Amino acid sequence: MNQPVLAAAGLTVKFGGLTALDGLDLQLHANEILGLIGPNGSGKTTFFNAVTGLYRSAAGDVQVDGQRITGSSPQAISRAGVARTFQRSRLCLSLSIFDNLMIGNHRNLDHGIWMNIFRRDALASQVEEGMAKAHALLEIFSKPLARHLPDPVSTLTMIDRRRVEICRALISEPRILLLDEPSAGMTHDETHELMDDLLAARERLPALSVILIEHEMNVIERITSRCVVLNYGRKICEGAYNEVAADESVRKAYLGED
Amino acid sequence: MDPGLFGQYVLNGLMLGVIYAMVAVGFTLFFGVLDVIKFSHGDVVMVGAFVALAAFVGLQDAGVTSPLVMLLLATAVAMLAMALLGALIARFLVLPLRKAPALNTLLVTLMVGLALRETIRLFYPNGSNPKPFPRLLPADTYNFGALALRLDSLILLVTGLLAIVIVHLVINRTRLGLAIRAVAQDPETARVMGVNFERIVLITFGIGSALAALAGVTNGLYYNEVNFGMGLLLGVIGFSAAVVGGLGNIYGAILGGFLFAALQTVGAVWFSVPAYKDVFAFAAVIMLMAWKPTGLIAEKSAERV
Amino acid sequence: MAQQAKTMFIVALGIAACAVVLLLFLEVEVQWKVAALATGVVAVLLVMEKSGLRVRMEEASARHRTFALSLAVAASLVVAATLHESHFALLMLASVALYATACLGLTIQFGYAGIANFAGAAFFGIGCYSAAVLSAYTPVPHLLVIIAGAAIAALISSVLILPILRTRGHYAALITIAFGILFKTFLEVNDTLGGPQGLKVPGMQILGWSFNDPIRLGAGIEASFYLNYVVLSVLLAAFAFVVVKRLERSWIGLNLDAVRLDETAAAVSGIDIARWKILAFVFGNFLVGMAGAVYAMLTGFIAPANFTFGDSLILVSIVILGGVGNPLGVILAALLLLILPEKLQVIQEYRFLLYALLVIVILLFRPQGLLPRRLREYFPGRLRA
Repeated sequence: MNQPVLAAAGLTVKFGGLTALDGLDLQLHANEILGLIGPNGSGKTTFFNAVTGLYRSAAGDVQVDGQRITGSSPQAISRAGVARTFQRSRLCLSLSIFDNLMIGNHRNLDHGIWMNIFRRDALASQVEEGMAKAHALLEIFSKPLARHLPDPVSTLTMIDRRRVEICRALISEPRILLLDEPSAGMTHDETHELMDDLLAARERLPALSVILIEHEMNVIERITSRCVVLNYGRKICEGAYNEVAADESVRKAYLGED
Repeated sequence: MDPGLFGQYVLNGLMLGVIYAMVAVGFTLFFGVLDVIKFSHGDVVMVGAFVALAAFVGLQDAGVTSPLVMLLLATAVAMLAMALLGALIARFLVLPLRKAPALNTLLVTLMVGLALRETIRLFYPNGSNPKPFPRLLPADTYNFGALALRLDSLILLVTGLLAIVIVHLVINRTRLGLAIRAVAQDPETARVMGVNFERIVLITFGIGSALAALAGVTNGLYYNEVNFGMGLLLGVIGFSAAVVGGLGNIYGAILGGFLFAALQTVGAVWFSVPAYKDVFAFAAVIMLMAWKPTGLIAEKSAERV
Repeated sequence: MAQQAKTMFIVALGIAACAVVLLLFLEVEVQWKVAALATGVVAVLLVMEKSGLRVRMEEASARHRTFALSLAVAASLVVAATLHESHFALLMLASVALYATACLGLTIQFGYAGIANFAGAAFFGIGCYSAAVLSAYTPVPHLLVIIAGAAIAALISSVLILPILRTRGHYAALITIAFGILFKTFLEVNDTLGGPQGLKVPGMQILGWSFNDPIRLGAGIEASFYLNYVVLSVLLAAFAFVVVKRLERSWIGLNLDAVRLDETAAAVSGIDIARWKILAFVFGNFLVGMAGAVYAMLTGFIAPANFTFGDSLILVSIVILGGVGNPLGVILAALLLLILPEKLQVIQEYRFLLYALLVIVILLFRPQGLLPRRLREYFPGRLRA
């Protein structure tokens, strides 16, 4: 019952001689929004990269719903229900919003060669379904944006690109969403707006658990129920935001770095 | 195998290896500063040889008779001209495409190579036929059994090695080299530190292309012939050598150059039809790539996500 | 309904105009007239581009794609029938159709999956040599020979893709370059395949009907035997066109785009990078090999000199010039690059130089090519969100 959705145990990532992540233990519980904070270079993004299979871990393991995913391919981990966004937007700018969302929707689409080339009617109904789904999801974030489904992403503003990227991660209905600094490159107000959207989206997707990397502490304070603080690849503190913010070692880590 | 014959093969292999290494060093220098493949590099080698040939003919017409003077002047002219050509290609064709997909740079320089080949074929007097390249070096031969050691080959070998060593020293021991290495490491930081990025790129392309001209002259002197198509194969071999060694690494380029020459030599000995040597060498390159996808001396940086 | 009839009429008009221009091009001999015609076509294209007419025409023909394609095939056959006495013009037409087919294969690789294939001429050559050997030494029916040529090219691709999958970017480009040179050198030194002198290829025969006999059309009208090949080549090109278009307008096309644009993002979305690269490379070369097999029978003679690195670059030039990823652009560029130098003798000698300069200019100033690829519409005219 109380099994965590995502559990990392002793997770270690090394680049040559550098240990970027050092024996990290971390649990994410069902329906939780967990904040992952720490100074630059403390291993937050490395953690996401290790969980999503982009980096190989040197030791430790990761489980999703009790299933070990350590060493699996990024594709298998995606199928296990882990989706993510990137710090620097990795949308396909020359493609339409719809296309970008359908990249996220990959595991729900039929990729057979015969079906795609010769059974065009079957494809048409999948495209229609995809459009309805994309439209519904985008509407939670922004009604005007939902009307621009066939437009290229390159024409969008920064905040709309973030929205599309988050929707690309959400459209596959993942169990776990990893958000890597969604406020990067946006104004204070825009960030606030985006977090509202995110909370609204979570209302619709009750099974979703989120890990959020963020430098804006008011965002962390507002939407997370628990935080994990990293420094030099190690967990130095864990708890509710207020507890963490008051912690001596956390302050030292931030002051020491900056 | 007869030791003399074996020595002959080794010597030929070394000679080829030094030419290939000179070409490969250019590829690796350009990749270092700009992360691009300048495919026209092989044709710069060829144009360099033709410029030297033209300079030689000009000097002959001007009444110069000393082979040494002719050789030094023709080589200098070729190196200067190619340094200029390399910098021009970088300035007008490679730098403008920095923001475009990497494939576009490769394509543009492939086409520049084709254009250079065609220009020589069409506009150099009787350019579509192979041209004899003058023997300007003393061709004394010392015989050790089956091994015929030619003085000119020896001079070329030593000159080539010396040129590579000089480039290596420039890169590692001078202020200019420091700037080049800074740009190769991280162009943004280098710029912030006050390095004139564009100037360094142009100088690097100039150095690499001057080395290419030297490789072209060496090739001409060794085979006593140049032709408009020779740059293509030299370019592909130089590219292969740089890639097999590991792009961006000067030792890798040298290793790759000699390795390719060794493969060709082994191929020539192994097969009853020596012409299979290139088939063998390229097949081996493809297999090496499958085995070590980023070259024998691995590329420096991992991708940032 | 009236609106629809109007767009269809405009599409038909456009295709008819293209057919007339093509016919004129193939007919005109006087050099200044060829030059004038070429200049006129460029001027019209420019006006169409500036006025947005080009985009509207492309949209209209996408909406009525079956109609447009059947009409285009019919129009090319009418052009061929009109020129039924001219061996040379028909040979040109068939070559253009086959080169376009090969370049449609390369479009899947370059334009969609982003795999640089600089061995196009080698895979074309594999198709040619397979056809030459099979039709000269085995009783395999010739229609199957075409498929066998394609299949052998695909088979060799499926081996060559292995090192390509392990490498990225420049390293992958080198593998195809090395393979292209290896292939040509191999042909030159291999005596069983004719060495540098090449091989003769018997003409095509289908169900006892020999393609290399002149066609008698009743009352004293005789057509060049090349007309047979034009029909076959145009049908193959149309087939390749439809398949490539459908591929693009499907989830597969989307997967290929995702692989090209961002492998990392594609991987974390669950897209199997290797699977789609293999599909693109192998199927692309299947089309290249298929075109090659027919080309061998068309020309009746093949030699290693037809399959050099320079020839690979011509194929790549067609793909880039037309507009990477736009099949229609491929057809246009194939027409331009192959017919113009044959008709304008002044440039014949300089054609490689001109191609090279043209591609350089395109890449510097209009990298999306003459007819830029448009956003994907899975079902144009239908299903807009």
